Amino acid sequence: MLARISYAFRETWASFKRNVTLTAAAVITSAVSLLLVGSTFLIQRAFDNLLTRWKGDVELIVYVRSDASPEQIAFIQEAIESQPTIIDVSKLRYLDQAESYAEAQKLFAGDPGTLRLLTPENIPSQFKVVPITDDSNLIRELGESFRGIEGVREVAYAQDVFDVVSRVSQFIRVATTVMSIVLLIVAIGLIWNTIRTAMFARRREIEVMKLVGATNWFIRIPFMLEGLLQGLIGGVLSCAGLWGLNTAWSNAVADFNDTELAALVVSDGYVRWVMIMLLVIGAAAGAIGSGIAASRFLDV
Amino acid sequence: MIRLENVTKTYSTEVTALRDASFEIAKGEFVFLVGPSGSGKSTLLRLMNRQEQPERGEVWVAGKDINAMPDSKVPFLRRNIGNIFQDYKLLLNKTVFENVAFALEVIGRPKHVISQQVPAVLDLVGLADKGDRFPHQLSGGEQQRVSIARAFVNRPLILLADEPTGNLDPATGEGIMRLLDRINGTGTTVVMATHDQRIVNQMRKRVVQLDRGVIVRDQERGVYD
Repeated sequence: MLARISYAFRETWASFKRNVTLTAAAVITSAVSLLLVGSTFLIQRAFDNLLTRWKGDVELIVYVRSDASPEQIAFIQEAIESQPTIIDVSKLRYLDQAESYAEAQKLFAGDPGTLRLLTPENIPSQFKVVPITDDSNLIRELGESFRGIEGVREVAYAQDVFDVVSRVSQFIRVATTVMSIVLLIVAIGLIWNTIRTAMFARRREIEVMKLVGATNWFIRIPFMLEGLLQGLIGGVLSCAGLWGLNTAWSNAVADFNDTELAALVVSDGYVRWVMIMLLVIGAAAGAIGSGIAASRFLDV
Repeated sequence: MIRLENVTKTYSTEVTALRDASFEIAKGEFVFLVGPSGSGKSTLLRLMNRQEQPERGEVWVAGKDINAMPDSKVPFLRRNIGNIFQDYKLLLNKTVFENVAFALEVIGRPKHVISQQVPAVLDLVGLADKGDRFPHQLSGGEQQRVSIARAFVNRPLILLADEPTGNLDPATGEGIMRLLDRINGTGTTVVMATHDQRIVNQMRKRVVQLDRGVIVRDQERGVYD
């Protein structure tokens, strides 16, 4: 048994050294595809985080005209608070013009054109309303009723934004999943080809092995190990890349600490879990690709 | 030891390599398969270790119908059969010792067995002092001896030799024949395909003659023709 194991490892290593170029190609392809698979996981997670945050947060914003009188504002607040079965009164928040302006500074940080039009004087103040009910029709009905109150400028539903974001996230999810599957197939194909080439280079040896009665598994295992190793190294590289990407991303998002964008940060625990997944997928893809190649070659 | 029953093998619809061949080889026998190129000698040998399977008929080796056995059992069948070829089929990047050890290694024999049996068999074939040479440093006859050592190191029941003297000059060929005769003397059944008339006539062993896939003669203590 020991003799067999040491044989398998020796052969794997020798073959690895023999096909440096092809091995590098297979490793890099699997690294890139696995990196994409990992990124897909993280992007989806980030969007999920964002959507969860929004769902549990403001779903209705009542904008108040900048020229509304304090009485009008008080009346609006009263109207909102008179609906405790639909809205969570304890979470009702009023942002006056100064606070709204401060918030706008962050929200439109990337849009100086819009920002220039806003002043602390002309910006609407706003009531952020958190509903208690999940019934979006009820929320919409209530929002429409606020529209009629004097001093109300506009009623915005977070639901609309939520829908757009979830549609975008859905699209990204499908696109990245399809792309990573395609790349993964390419990686398996390349590993398959590397192993086939390695076996072709050693067809004489394999012929002798078969003639003296080596079992197919004995012949196959070093090649499968080689493929597995290629996938695994690709996996390790992709993990390093993913960790780097995520760190850069987290740092970039950290600048928007107080805004909703902060929800786009993915926890380290999740990243670690994704990395383990990548290693497993890489190893499995490598073993499968080389296993298929080896079986077809041995099937004479 | 080996029995063929009405074996027919065709490679394509036009080429019939072997037609309705039947014969039996007893344990410890030495048999020449003779006939011109393409008469079916090699096919016959390849049928005996299941490198080929016939369209019709049965091939029995060591009491087993080898075409009825599952693929997974074939390696174990082959551990009982040594093979020798005209072109030796040595691994050029391995030394003599490693070439012979390889045969034991790939069937999972432990190191201590290998370090014991390889020198013994190299001694038997007369290459005791050449274990660390590479094939290209050896003469043709020596290379063939290495391949015989590799075929015999596992003490197989049967030795199949396909034109083992085909690439060698007569004197060297005779040396190889003496070696095969000695191996036969230990009880190993030897089946050898050849069209070397001199050798067949000298050895006076059983001769099975093929012509275009048909056995036309089977003679004890025969000559080439």
